[in-house]
Amino acid sequence: MVFHKRRWLVRRLFFNHEQIRTMSRVKRRTTHPPYWHVLKNNQREDEKISSDNLRFVREVIQDKYKNKSPIKGSDLDIEKTVWDPKTKRSGVIARNIGVQHMWEKDGKKVICTVLHVLDNHVVRYVPPEEYAKSVIGTKMFKNRKPLGCLVVGAEAANPDRFTRQYCSLFDEVGLLPKKRLARFIVTPNAALPPCTPLTAGHFVIGQAVDVYGKTIDYGFQGVVKRWGFKGGPASHGATKFHRRGGTIGTGRDKARVWPGQKMPGHMGSERRFNRGLKIVRINMKYNIIYVKGTVPGPTNSIVQIFDTILPRRRFTEAPPHPTYFPPEDGTLPQEDIWDSSLHVFGSPSISV
Amino acid sequence: MLRRAVLQTFRQGLAQSFFKRNAVSLSETTVTHQTVETSDEGGEKFVSTQKTGDESGNTVIVAPPEFRFMYPEFLPDPAMETRNRLKEKLERMDMLQRRSVIEIPEFYTGSVMAVTVSDANSPNKFARFVGICIQRGGSGLRAWFILRNVVEKQGVEILYEMYCPLIQKIEVLRLERRLDESLLYLRDALPEYSTFPLDMEPERRLNNLVVPINPLKVKLRPRPWLERWERQNLQGVEDLNLPQRFYDKAEKVAKPWEKYDLMLHYRKTIPAEEQEKIFAEVQSQLQQQELKRKMRRRRGSDNEQ
Repeated sequence: MVFHKRRWLVRRLFFNHEQIRTMSRVKRRTTHPPYWHVLKNNQREDEKISSDNLRFVREVIQDKYKNKSPIKGSDLDIEKTVWDPKTKRSGVIARNIGVQHMWEKDGKKVICTVLHVLDNHVVRYVPPEEYAKSVIGTKMFKNRKPLGCLVVGAEAANPDRFTRQYCSLFDEVGLLPKKRLARFIVTPNAALPPCTPLTAGHFVIGQAVDVYGKTIDYGFQGVVKRWGFKGGPASHGATKFHRRGGTIGTGRDKARVWPGQKMPGHMGSERRFNRGLKIVRINMKYNIIYVKGTVPGPTNSIVQIFDTILPRRRFTEAPPHPTYFPPEDGTLPQEDIWDSSLHVFGSPSISV
Repeated sequence: MLRRAVLQTFRQGLAQSFFKRNAVSLSETTVTHQTVETSDEGGEKFVSTQKTGDESGNTVIVAPPEFRFMYPEFLPDPAMETRNRLKEKLERMDMLQRRSVIEIPEFYTGSVMAVTVSDANSPNKFARFVGICIQRGGSGLRAWFILRNVVEKQGVEILYEMYCPLIQKIEVLRLERRLDESLLYLRDALPEYSTFPLDMEPERRLNNLVVPINPLKVKLRPRPWLERWERQNLQGVEDLNLPQRFYDKAEKVAKPWEKYDLMLHYRKTIPAEEQEKIFAEVQSQLQQQELKRKMRRRRGSDNEQ
């Protein structure tokens, strides 16, 4: 353990200044959404409407969205497509609800992140030709074959809190407006019609997934926490030099501060992917996925889960393609599915 | 919020003791502990299950208040940033599953316990350790406790995770409490206070309803110590006999206002209403498991006869 720490802290003599310089100009976070998004949250103040009017508004909303029975696979017109290893399936929006310790069959303890798959519904599908013309599509598919885009929404909410333009995105499909939207890049054979529900059964036990999230926001942090600097001595006469950065340049070479010099600043709240996390347990009743390892972001934050892109951990057999639907004959699926490497809690104690 | 009609005397006691400094109210000499009385008729076990009526006349099952001392790991970590009701519920289900396989008995710091673990490096593949519980902590599946013993003049402490599947058996050889919640000072005490024979037999309790508090005052070795014990308000230690300057410094550093800080204690504990909900959820399963074990034990003793 000590060996690895020493390697990490050894100062590299030759920095790739070119790479640091270009990356330091990349804007890493914004507080506003892209300009092509419609205004989402209701901007008007809390109107003081009477209780009768409030009741009327609620009735209107209920009338509008009633008669929404659970959607079966047979109701949706899904083209029968074949899975091949190059297929990119849809992802899923989930909430990271915490971390639970589980044990493997040899007694080794593993940390598993509990991900709660929210009520995902497909909002619309954008075919490849159309998506390649959009702002993001042109950038993404500049030198590649274009792929389609699935817009998925999660966490239905009261339409009152959103603007009309935002609710109209869902009106065409007849869904309650969702608090969270996400785009998943899919191959055309994995396209899904609007209103398709996505559940925890979309994934397979033992598969590897990539989880995207925004890391914990630490705010404005000093150089010791942000970059792992050692700072200065705590005593021995050190005057006001305990957690400072120290020197920021040589004075000779280029005679200025290089762009990308590590300094205090905002830390966290960045897009990150944790790749190749193994799914060790799925609870179909509560729509919960247990993933071995940790995901970016704090507890109770929203993450997106995709099938992994890591070449050695990709699918070799067909997963539920294009997504999972409960069996038509009404038989309930197994509620709690465990990976073979994990020790099930109800089973006898392990004897090594 | 539970309805007003559910305010029973034990709930008032719960709310009162909730504000005291420790979870255990040490001003009382004993804590009543009601076991499940199995009657031959198998009728209402009114001793443990408090069925209360509310305004509409439906019975609401409320677990007895002792549950928060017997099963403290069912309460989640109070830190609000990491709390999620669904995850806690799932964790409790897993804990009950594990408890259905192995008996995790009621114990407190100061109880002498024996734990059998499956160990690949042991000659018999099982390692048994006897010791006094000096500290317990963690919540949910992470719950742990530390056992201490002195083996061949060497002090040994082992941290066991209560829900680890490698644990084969947890026995409580002597169920009692001490005057402090944490007995870490035994590390600086004379070794005789931490020595327990490894082949100790389980002791039979004189009174099943009450968990005795052992008022033993431990003698510490001369300084240097691992911690500044004079600053910690220990009840279970004999007079430390230190020079006055230690006590003066301890007074300077002390925070006597903390015992009046209601928000501090509120943030460190789970609210009483939530505790009741949690224990009401797990109570029936725990009682069923307890019953099954009792019957198995009775059948076992009958077979022997």
